[in-house]
Amino acid sequence: MPEYDINSTPIISVSHLGKWYGDFPALVDVSLDVSKGQKIVLCGPSGSGKSTLIRCIARLEDHQEGTLFVVDKERQSGKAASERLNGQVGMVFQHFNLFPHLTVLENCTLAPRLVKKLSEQDAEAIAIKHLEKVKIGEKATCYPPQLSGGQQQRAAIARALCMNPTVLLFDEPTSALDPEMVSEVLDTMVSLAEEGVTMICVTHEMGFAKRVADLVVFMADGKIVEVSKPQEFFAAPQHPRAQLFVRQISGH
Amino acid sequence: MSATFVAHPSTVPVQERRPPEAPSALSVIGTELFGSWPRIIGTAIFAVPIAYLVWWVLDWTFLESVWRADDVEQCKVAVGACWSVIAARFRIILFGLYPYDDQWRSALASLVIVVVAFLSCLPACWTARRVIVCWVAGFAAYLLLMYGGVFGLAKVTTDRWGGLSLTLFVFSAQTVIGMPLAILLMIGRRSHIFVIAKLSAGLIDLLRAIPLLAILFTAAVVAPLALPEMLQGDKLTRVVIGYALFFAAYQAEIIRGGMQGVSEGQAEAARVLGLGKWQSLFYISLPQAFHKALPATVSQFAIAFKETSIITIVGFFDILASGQAAYGAGEWYPYFKEVYIFIGMIYFITVFSLSRYGAYLERRTKNARI
Ligand SMILES: Nc1ncnc2c1ncn2[C@@H]1O[C@H](COP(=O)(O)OP(=O)(O)OP(=O)(O)O)[C@@H](O)[C@H]1O
Ligand SMILES: [Mg+2]
Repeated sequence: MPEYDINSTPIISVSHLGKWYGDFPALVDVSLDVSKGQKIVLCGPSGSGKSTLIRCIARLEDHQEGTLFVVDKERQSGKAASERLNGQVGMVFQHFNLFPHLTVLENCTLAPRLVKKLSEQDAEAIAIKHLEKVKIGEKATCYPPQLSGGQQQRAAIARALCMNPTVLLFDEPTSALDPEMVSEVLDTMVSLAEEGVTMICVTHEMGFAKRVADLVVFMADGKIVEVSKPQEFFAAPQHPRAQLFVRQISGH
Repeated sequence: MSATFVAHPSTVPVQERRPPEAPSALSVIGTELFGSWPRIIGTAIFAVPIAYLVWWVLDWTFLESVWRADDVEQCKVAVGACWSVIAARFRIILFGLYPYDDQWRSALASLVIVVVAFLSCLPACWTARRVIVCWVAGFAAYLLLMYGGVFGLAKVTTDRWGGLSLTLFVFSAQTVIGMPLAILLMIGRRSHIFVIAKLSAGLIDLLRAIPLLAILFTAAVVAPLALPEMLQGDKLTRVVIGYALFFAAYQAEIIRGGMQGVSEGQAEAARVLGLGKWQSLFYISLPQAFHKALPATVSQFAIAFKETSIITIVGFFDILASGQAAYGAGEWYPYFKEVYIFIGMIYFITVFSLSRYGAYLERRTKNARI
């Protein structure tokens, strides 16, 4: 089944990553390679360091130890704040973080125009293509607060896609949504996965993980404690923490 | 009736239901004023003095008033307002001591400022380039007309500028110079570079700790003693810069307050998309900060307009001081009320327009609900 090539050089290579908040170790010796086209689901109990890891990869946080390769480039520790990013690593946030003073269309065209220097027409054409793909083409001229949560999150996905990212990071994209809107966002993510978009996704949606993930990475206390195929992970987790976690999210 | 509670599915089709008729505004007011005996009595108690006051104002302002410029004799016997003082002396109020024959220049210059201010309030004008072009051209035209010395216009030094014309200039120049300064100070204060952050914070706190009067005195009187001749410039220039610094210190804190209301996630999203620090600031954070700070900003502009009158303390004749000069000369002395009412109306129109404009901006962005 895997459409990705495990032998190619990984797009993201995290090795022996360490990160502290003050004296508190948020990431301890974390190593993870992601190849092109691979879908990783990251899960674990609250406070286990999932967001921290994904934010380190996005360069929103600095790591202090180990090495980090993201899309052909080694990212130095201690330099995250001053590094100019280029949209190659797309990120979808739990709280959408759409720009409320811009229309949905402007949200999608701003970065392509400013960063990629696309003309207004080109940027709009791309934006409309992606907005239609996530099925909110008719909301292009609305402001984000006029949209439902699910629509906002899909707009945020479209905004990330407009930069044509090499990899997409999702940090609990459905956990701020009302239950009836979760599936529309997950469906969008499934179709992206089927197109072969590389993604790392923090989520507790078991159905989604089983359907699209190549690997489930389970974290606890800032460490990766288990890596396995989704079917195996949810059916027979090995580590006691993972067993507890699977029991809890399955509602038993 | 027994207290049984029944729940059953609604059987009426939704389409057939209309909301109950809302009462009209008139009937609401009617009920509020005359809905019950205590209300009728209350209304009567207040209506009589209010009606009397309104009648008295109308009578004084219009019915018994004198309007023509050469009617000073009639003013002495009339019970109403003596608007003749305005007709006779309005040039002093508008232009101060500006040479009589050249006052058309002062009028035209004021018009330029008003037009440019109006233009830069239009959303169509809101690109950095357009705003800069508008105001550079506007101030150039103002200074050229007022100062003269070229194109056959006689030179009129700034000590003779005055009236509404001067007030408009001091107000627009202090805000147009002060606003970019405010943004700079705000950026400085939020800087990660320790020295810049502390310097900006120190400057803001210092400027806010000194009374405006002291700043103006320093600019007008002390600065020439301290600065070398070539840096001194004109007294009016120094005073306007003093005003601008004072405005900038307060406005910087207002914008900073707005920035604190913009969530961290906004800048993070901008950064991940590839926007640079400055792009993120000017396209994402600042517009939202300004929106949040709009009510306070409008107040700051209103305060700035009214505080232009303090400029008399350093020897300039703004509209208020010119008004004093207008009735101060002999025969018009008793009619100072009319002069102050006239000037009050000008202040009111300006500040009221400002607050209406603020309300328009809020309505304009209400969909965005920033
Ligand atoms: N800015 C910060 N300052 C101090 N400690 C932090 C900070 N951010 C996160 N932490 C701590 O680091 C640990 C890992 O946090 P992280 O947000 O990565 O967890 P998470 O796995 O994403 O949890 P959740 O499922 O609740 O989102 C937590 O114990 C948290 O308290
Ligand atoms: Mg998290």
